Amino acid sequence: MARFYLIGFTVLLMFDTVAQCSFKLAAEHAQPLAMSIEWLVRVFSGHWIYVSITGYILTFFTWMTLLKKAPVGPAFAASHFEVVTVMIVSVWLFHEPITLFKLIGTILIVSGILFLALAESKLAKKTNNQSD
Amino acid sequence: MSSLVIFLWISNICFDTLGQVAFKYAATSPTNRDGWYYWLDLAKNHWIWIGISSYIAEFLLWLAFLTLVPLSQGVLLASFNIITIMLVGRVLFKELLTLYRIIGMLLITAGVIFVGLS
Repeated sequence: MARFYLIGFTVLLMFDTVAQCSFKLAAEHAQPLAMSIEWLVRVFSGHWIYVSITGYILTFFTWMTLLKKAPVGPAFAASHFEVVTVMIVSVWLFHEPITLFKLIGTILIVSGILFLALAESKLAKKTNNQSD
Repeated sequence: MSSLVIFLWISNICFDTLGQVAFKYAATSPTNRDGWYYWLDLAKNHWIWIGISSYIAEFLLWLAFLTLVPLSQGVLLASFNIITIMLVGRVLFKELLTLYRIIGMLLITAGVIFVGLS
């Protein structure tokens, strides 16, 4: 069972990270940014936009499959860990720098997500006890 | 961050929150039936269309946002939607704000401020 979660969440993070990186590539492809039909045409004429939409759909179905079995708290936390995987991938794919402020911010956000995951676990336990 | 970036970020979060609320209203409508009728009832509910429209708007705003902001920073800033959704959930759906949730929200807010300043 532990292996099911491990593989499931790895796949989830992978799809999500691919979707976000493709979004960035699609945005770069459509430059310059403008509020116009031409911009929309440029967005949908590149192929990355379709990779990102596919990535989103796959993320959605993986998420729904995992939610059927995984407890809400850890599932919530794991699904938000994309912030870390996306950051790692952006460093080598887009040569984005990791500044000190960004690093501190990431640590704070990740700890916040862990607290929210704990909160969800506690609430889920409470409702389970009530329904027993 | 430029004012355009901040504008795109805030409108992205607003549409995301509106979309989530609309989907919640659609999913929990008391007139929803079971089985295949569930999807039919959903399609007839105006909330589902408000939700879908919000998501389309959010999709385009997110693309515009990513044109101007590095991806790693953008994804971190977007995690602020966790907080707006929890606050709106508290007001509209009477969801609980427990101690752990409040600590989590404060940590995320502090983190977003650091990332925003970077």
